[in-house]
Amino acid sequence: MRTKFFGFILTFIFLLLILGILNLNVFQGNKYQELSKKNYVRLLPQVGARGRILDRKNSIIVDNKLCYDVMIVPQETSKVDQVLMSVSRILEMDFRELKEKFRKGYTAPFAPIAIAQNIDVAKAVTLEELKFELSGVVIQPRPIRSYPYGRLACHAIGYLNEIDRWRLTKLEDYGYKTKDIVGFGGVEEKYDYYLRQEEGGLSVEVDHRGKLRRVLALRPPQSGKDIQLTLDLKVQKAVDQNLVDRKGSVIIMDPYTGEIIAMASFPNFNPAVFVDRSATSFNNLLGDPDAPLVNRAITGVYPAGSVFKLIVATAGLETGKINTAKTFLCSGSIKIGNMEFACWDTHGPQNLFAAITHSCNIFFYRTGLLVGAQTIHDYALKFGFSRPTGINLPYEAGGFVPSPLWKRIYRFKSWFDGDTANLSIGQGDLLVTPLQITRMMAVFANQGSLVTPYIIKAIDGMDISLAQQKSTNLHINPSTIDYIRQALRNVVQDPAGTAHILSILEVQVSGKTGTVQVSRGQPHAWFVGFFPYKKPRFVICVFLEHGGSGQTACLLARQIIEEIIKEKLLDLQG
Amino acid sequence: MRNTGLIILLIAILITSIGILTIYSSTYQREGKLWQVIYKRQIFWVILGIILFLIVSNFNYRRLWDWTFFLYALALFLLLLVFVLGITRLGAQRWLKIGWFNFQPSELTKLIMVIFLARYFSRKSVDSFSMLVNKFGILRALILPFIFVAIPIGLIMEQPDLGSAATILFVLIAMLYLSGVRLRYIVIFLLILVLSLPILWQFLRDYQKDRLSVFLNPNIDPLGAGYTVIQSKIAIGSGGFFGKGWLSGTQSQLHFLPESHTDFIFANFAEEWGFLGSIALLLLYYFLIRQGIAISQRTSDPFGKFLALGISVMLGIQIFINIAMNMGLAPVVGLPLPLMSYGGSSILVTFISLGILANIDKTRNVF
Repeated sequence: MRTKFFGFILTFIFLLLILGILNLNVFQGNKYQELSKKNYVRLLPQVGARGRILDRKNSIIVDNKLCYDVMIVPQETSKVDQVLMSVSRILEMDFRELKEKFRKGYTAPFAPIAIAQNIDVAKAVTLEELKFELSGVVIQPRPIRSYPYGRLACHAIGYLNEIDRWRLTKLEDYGYKTKDIVGFGGVEEKYDYYLRQEEGGLSVEVDHRGKLRRVLALRPPQSGKDIQLTLDLKVQKAVDQNLVDRKGSVIIMDPYTGEIIAMASFPNFNPAVFVDRSATSFNNLLGDPDAPLVNRAITGVYPAGSVFKLIVATAGLETGKINTAKTFLCSGSIKIGNMEFACWDTHGPQNLFAAITHSCNIFFYRTGLLVGAQTIHDYALKFGFSRPTGINLPYEAGGFVPSPLWKRIYRFKSWFDGDTANLSIGQGDLLVTPLQITRMMAVFANQGSLVTPYIIKAIDGMDISLAQQKSTNLHINPSTIDYIRQALRNVVQDPAGTAHILSILEVQVSGKTGTVQVSRGQPHAWFVGFFPYKKPRFVICVFLEHGGSGQTACLLARQIIEEIIKEKLLDLQG
Repeated sequence: MRNTGLIILLIAILITSIGILTIYSSTYQREGKLWQVIYKRQIFWVILGIILFLIVSNFNYRRLWDWTFFLYALALFLLLLVFVLGITRLGAQRWLKIGWFNFQPSELTKLIMVIFLARYFSRKSVDSFSMLVNKFGILRALILPFIFVAIPIGLIMEQPDLGSAATILFVLIAMLYLSGVRLRYIVIFLLILVLSLPILWQFLRDYQKDRLSVFLNPNIDPLGAGYTVIQSKIAIGSGGFFGKGWLSGTQSQLHFLPESHTDFIFANFAEEWGFLGSIALLLLYYFLIRQGIAISQRTSDPFGKFLALGISVMLGIQIFINIAMNMGLAPVVGLPLPLMSYGGSSILVTFISLGILANIDKTRNVF
């Protein structure tokens, strides 16, 4: 009677076992199949190299080099502490720090943990030699950015860093992931999509020790595309060397095409800091009050000062409010409204030609008042102010040109003649970027066309300069341009001209200086010009933040042009 | 019903064949000569087992009645010998080296205890087979058999071999139930067992405590004690309906699953043969044990009745614990899957047990 019960029990326990198998195999089958795959399939990411950045003559400005990371595969070592201790001794790093990195990085016994990155080659060799004593230690080569010229053109190029949250939300849809290294600023950011390498991978079958059994699939990594810039390495070098230890920016541009031959901004930074990831120098950069990360050439906005007078002159001539014979008397100051407006000197009677040569304020106050603020504003916009130039670099500022309407709407104030006077000499609320000023000068150099500056010549060998926006003809009377050009030449040629120190150069330079009074500290210094005068080939713009009078900018321009001539860096004959 | 013995033998041969295939697969990727001969050794054990089966099935089981105390003494002697001469493997001292063969006395002890209990609860006289257990007091019904069983259990637990100890305990409970001991006694017995668990816990080795706590939550130590269970569950679960195919199970071929030719052979088999294969194997085992219980039901001789049931319970419990352990439903105890796992002692003892079953059935027919 009781034996029957055993039959039931038997059936019951076997049903239980079948249920168990059903549960594992059928109900949870997918999960366990995944887990089994995770067990024996490893993805070994293979990184390609990021695209290089070349200058216009294909010299390498930014390259890649191999660096070495120290990884530990936990399952291949039984004495982690001992191994970490030896590694810490060889790397001269703190044991506790390594231990912490090991603890934090641990995900699975087979997953290598990076405990030190970018170590010395010599140390890497030492570790590699001790391979058999240090079980589980792997030296992993990885391409990283190298900057053979250090800080050279760092602003135009930008730097690399781990993607931040803001960029990630923006770029997620394009396949970017957390911890990706992306470009920050400059070409690195703007053309990240082309420069970035595509990760490849090796899918391999491994056994329980993580030992490779066979390769299941391979997707080779794709290196990024090389980008050729319009910058000329040697010119850029000359510019950087002369600008060093000052605050400001220098731009050299082709006035016909808008190609940027050199672009420098100081203070600058060493992009390699971000590769080495040393936290202190990184924080120093971010916390520096001089903002070394800011590209002053395109992001910095400043009052234009006297260089803006060219806009007023053009507006005056073009609208017919003044002609070339019009003369105003400079007596050192003028009363507009109840305000006294001073000139920097007493120039006596001045026509436009003389006024540009001497940069006489009185003449331009009166011209400005004749032309009117709105017209000046309109002409400024015509010359491309108050909006980004469209250069293919990120974070370009637009600057600002005030107008009576703006003042009424945003400041709830009336526009006074004093405002017009201030605007006429480029002071007041006017804000421009050095690049905008460069472009303005290019209009006089190239006989009346507004160009779109660009810095990318080719991507992966494909010339993209043809895809650049064409320059637009501003339809300015050729005689106006000619007249102002002569005046600009006279600024250098005339012994009383503000940029006379440039006359000693072998090449005929023409240009305009500017000194911007600021409420605190030294004035900003401008020099913008083109050379050679007859057949202009290049526009140069020098801006020095709190650099003193325009003379200092002239001096710097002279040094740069001198060096260009001496080293025959640029073809000035055309 | 002349061919019950034949059915048992056929099923056993079928299961051992599956076992040999699985052992071959499990050692297929292993390097080293030693691994490559394992399946051949198993073939040898199975052939020896079949011969023993044929001998035992023609040998009147009632002779065992007379030998019971000798066998009991033999079991105790061997168990004690293990402590003196036994060799240690995987942290347990379970084996006696006899020539080139490592003999595991605890395997034999299981069968001897079944014989012993069968004799204890039955009477020699075939005529008055009324079981007097009902008249037994609590002392003779519970305490005496328990003491007799507790001595070898204690010795086996000291080796340690928790699985075999548990098997014998379950056989005792089953026999108590079958013998007609009052249910209340059995309940009291179980209660005492449960209550003494915390005390028994103190006597366990550290690794056994680990295994038991891991059984309750395998994730507490995924790379240590919990590793095997997790890998075994992955193996069974990832097999799919038709399995990954013979020699193609990634869990076993790439050695993620430890002990895939012994205690965890079921997981290995389930991975490669899938849901269908596992169900088929379970059904084979089911029919095998069913035969044993059927023989017990058919037999009128109390000794044969108890013996057949004891053997069935012994095999059934081992099968259940082993497969449940493979699925993570029971704690990991070192227990082979009868007829499948590699191991001479287990194979031979199982074939002898099945031979006794066959003989019980045959002898009954003779009467």
